Amino acid sequence: MSSMSAAVQMVSDVPTAGEESYFTVFAGGEAFGLSVLQAQTIFRITSVTPIPLGPADIVGLVNLRGKIVTAVSLRRRLGIPMDDVQNALAIGIEHKGENFALIVDEVGDVLTLDPSMKVQIPAHFDPARSRLMTGLYKVGNLLIPALNIGALFDFTN
Amino acid sequence: MDELLRDFLTETTEHIEGAETQLVHFERNPSDASLISSIFRLVHTIKGTSSFLGLERLERVGHAAESVMGMLRDGVPPTQHSVTIILAAIDRIKTIIEEIGQHGGEPPGDDSEIINALEAYYAAGAEAATAAASVEANVELAAPQVAESAPSAEPEPVAAPAAVAAEAPKAEKAPAQQEQPGPAAKQEGTQGTQAKTAANPNQETIRVSVDTIERMMQLVSELVLSRNQLLELARHREDDAIKTPLQHLSTLTSDLQDAVMRARMQPVGRLYANLPRLVRELSTSLGKNIDLVTEGADTELDRQLIEVIRDPLTHLIRNCADHGIERPEERLASGKPERGEIRVSAAHEAGQITIDIADDGKGLDIERIKAKITSQGLATEQDLRSMSNEEIYRYIFEPGFSTAQVVSNVSGRGVGMDVVRSNIEAIGGSVSLSSAPGKGSRFSLRIPLTLAIAPALIIEVAGQRFALPQTSVVEAVSLGKNYKDLIQNVQNALVLKLREEVIPAVELRDVVGFSAASENEEAEKLAVVMRVGTDSFCIIVDGVADIQEIVVKPLSASLSHLKVFSGHTILGDGSVVLILDPAGIGANLGIEKSTEKKRTDLRDQGALERRRLVMFRAGPGAPKVLPLSLVSRIEMVETSRIESSDGRLMVLLQGRLMPIVPISHHIDMSKPSYPVLVIATEKRSIGLMTEEIVDILEEKLEIQLASANSDIVGSAEIRGEAVELLDVSHFIRMADPPTSTGTSPQRVLFAADDQLVRDMLCPALAAAGYNLSAAAIPADINELVGQFSAYDAVIVDFDAPAFALPGALAALRDRKNASLVPIVGVATHPTTRAAHKATDNGLVALLSKHDRQSLLETLAFALDAAADAKASSMELAA
Repeated sequence: MSSMSAAVQMVSDVPTAGEESYFTVFAGGEAFGLSVLQAQTIFRITSVTPIPLGPADIVGLVNLRGKIVTAVSLRRRLGIPMDDVQNALAIGIEHKGENFALIVDEVGDVLTLDPSMKVQIPAHFDPARSRLMTGLYKVGNLLIPALNIGALFDFTN
Repeated sequence: MDELLRDFLTETTEHIEGAETQLVHFERNPSDASLISSIFRLVHTIKGTSSFLGLERLERVGHAAESVMGMLRDGVPPTQHSVTIILAAIDRIKTIIEEIGQHGGEPPGDDSEIINALEAYYAAGAEAATAAASVEANVELAAPQVAESAPSAEPEPVAAPAAVAAEAPKAEKAPAQQEQPGPAAKQEGTQGTQAKTAANPNQETIRVSVDTIERMMQLVSELVLSRNQLLELARHREDDAIKTPLQHLSTLTSDLQDAVMRARMQPVGRLYANLPRLVRELSTSLGKNIDLVTEGADTELDRQLIEVIRDPLTHLIRNCADHGIERPEERLASGKPERGEIRVSAAHEAGQITIDIADDGKGLDIERIKAKITSQGLATEQDLRSMSNEEIYRYIFEPGFSTAQVVSNVSGRGVGMDVVRSNIEAIGGSVSLSSAPGKGSRFSLRIPLTLAIAPALIIEVAGQRFALPQTSVVEAVSLGKNYKDLIQNVQNALVLKLREEVIPAVELRDVVGFSAASENEEAEKLAVVMRVGTDSFCIIVDGVADIQEIVVKPLSASLSHLKVFSGHTILGDGSVVLILDPAGIGANLGIEKSTEKKRTDLRDQGALERRRLVMFRAGPGAPKVLPLSLVSRIEMVETSRIESSDGRLMVLLQGRLMPIVPISHHIDMSKPSYPVLVIATEKRSIGLMTEEIVDILEEKLEIQLASANSDIVGSAEIRGEAVELLDVSHFIRMADPPTSTGTSPQRVLFAADDQLVRDMLCPALAAAGYNLSAAAIPADINELVGQFSAYDAVIVDFDAPAFALPGALAALRDRKNASLVPIVGVATHPTTRAAHKATDNGLVALLSKHDRQSLLETLAFALDAAADAKASSMELAA
């Protein structure tokens, strides 16, 4: 589990057919997979402008090298309380023409996941959570959900 | 696509717009053959070039059209039929050109209907044409079905000998001529040719692709951001060496920004280009006679905005034609001229463009509207009773609202008006409407000048900053200790008492949902008065942190549902702030449907204020008006008491001798007494003699025609009548010529943004003999201070928001010319505290805007003192 401390360029594994590379990200002690193809940059948040009247899961707006990005807390999306955002780690993701930054606790190694590792998402999972996942993958002893970017950044309630 | 083809398509498309307008004008003025010269050239060129390019359909249609055009050019009077078929031909040409543009080549198609109609008309020849003119068939515009003579099989015109003889030499010359339409090249998007003015052949232009301009715009926006950051950084460093080049860079950036903006500007005339035809078609299909008058075609507007306005403009005109203008019989019956008029005018107004669409029709039927409102459940009868007419009119912008009895083909589907309003509001503009029953209606569109970069006030509330577009800010009122007096809670809503008016107020803290945390009650707050359309309201904030030019970036999709914000931006210090949307805040306050007591007078940044005026007669001609604020009182003076001395008239009034100036030389002195308007000036009162006081009214005063004479400012229209606004300074000078001191008049700079302040004080200053210059107050006070050395004294409007900034007062205090150029400040409510602040920072005094007397006295005193100081410093130097 390495932690990054500055804006870092993406290095993506070249997966073989059917495999995809994912970053491991941590929130509230749990691990999730985030497709490297969607992530553009990792950086630390130094200041954020809160958006009054905005959705609670959107922490605010951040200036990323001259670009205004919408900062979303993964914790809040999962329904767990968020830490102080100062100096938090965020992953820059562009989705449907909008620039987002997903705030996570930690970023881990890159995993290569392939369909053979995929398992069925159990029915008793909290629907609020399962809708944020594209699938569940068995990695060694762990079960790691892959995050659904579309659902993650969909704020139309 | 072949470049030759591409050029041909672009130029032809540009040319066609102008051609349609010309044709419609020509129909009205058949004696002016020059009007159709452009169209003739168009079809002529099309015929020639298309043959060269192998475009057969175009060639045939062009050829047939050219024959008929030739007839018109040779003097055959245009008929509704001939104009209609030529317009149909132009339409077909447009369609073919479009299809070529899309497919790269001419698609197959059948143009025989149109060609036959044209040829038949041509074949009928000159004599038959005049005969046909009296037997005009009303032809459907959609499909030109001609019930005329049998179509001739061949494309060649079978013609009357005279016409052929004229045609033949032209036909031969055609390939050789290959006229280029208009000036060889035009900048993309500039000037659709107007009917009256042909494209200026002397202007050098080049074509630039739209993408290139967009890219330049983007780069300039980023440059502005970087410039702001640099300025911010430099502010915190003591590096003098960097200041000058940085200042230079800053100026260059602003200039570059201006230049690129201008490149994107197009004259509104582009929108006007297809209006004449639209109105012609509406007239025909509705059976009404409608004239179109357009004004302000030169007013320039950003490209993007022009396209957004196009549809709303069309819809509003349709609306005027359909619901506003009455049928000819109705108009005659009510004593109006048979032809109705729709007037479209565009003008600049302090960072905005206003486009007015007015008609002289029957106006809005308020009872019908009220009935519709209640029947649709939008408001109760009781609500309606407490609303002003204007508030009621605004309901027509609600979706689904239409009072048309019969939903005509043209409009009345009830989906138009709300789309008009939302389209205009989407670009930050506003729509308002006024109407007089029986007289007509007027729709006003107000549109901000540029979308991308705008000056903004950076305001603070509860420690967080927001940006507020400066164009919607009218003024800032310091609340401070007077908070309890100025802000009152009425019916659970806050209001601000501003001079004689009551304005809805709201704490910005509440708008954005901040909790009313432990507040520093002693903190001085600020009420920022804003204006959206014709509504005013104010937001209460903690303070103004800065004024900056910001690059407006629209809200991201996830946030676009928040109505109170219109976007976000990055400030010079790198922080992200949200941009407030005044319209959104207003809507939040329920401004649109509010039943609160609203302001009755309308204030406008363009000085269209309702003023109290005295209207009177003095000599022949139009009645005259004067703002009542300039008049001390009106006295009836008996002619017998008027004495003549030294060629001048005077009267003894209240123990003092008052000079009388007859406003017109034509006032005969045969009446026993005359009303005299007493005007108080610095030295004494003077009386302006009139023949008769007509009325005292409260109206908007809008000078429409400036006057070349010095005694009249200009003409205006009040309640349907033309009146002349007197230039009171002229008469003051006549009564009391300033005694020449042998030195040139002292130069005074009057810095104020508020037109009303200028109107109140400038005449008095000018009358007192000062050489007066006016200036606006820039965001950066240093710019203003730089100009001071060119004057003997300066008067500033201390209420201007720029003075609320921390650096502003310091700039005044630290200026180099402090002792030589005195500054006098004026304010609406000069509190002792404010006066101290003023004098602490180098102003001579802070006076009330209403106290002209004190201002003149203080100014004279300050100038004397400065002159003394100058003299003694020169003595010392000598």
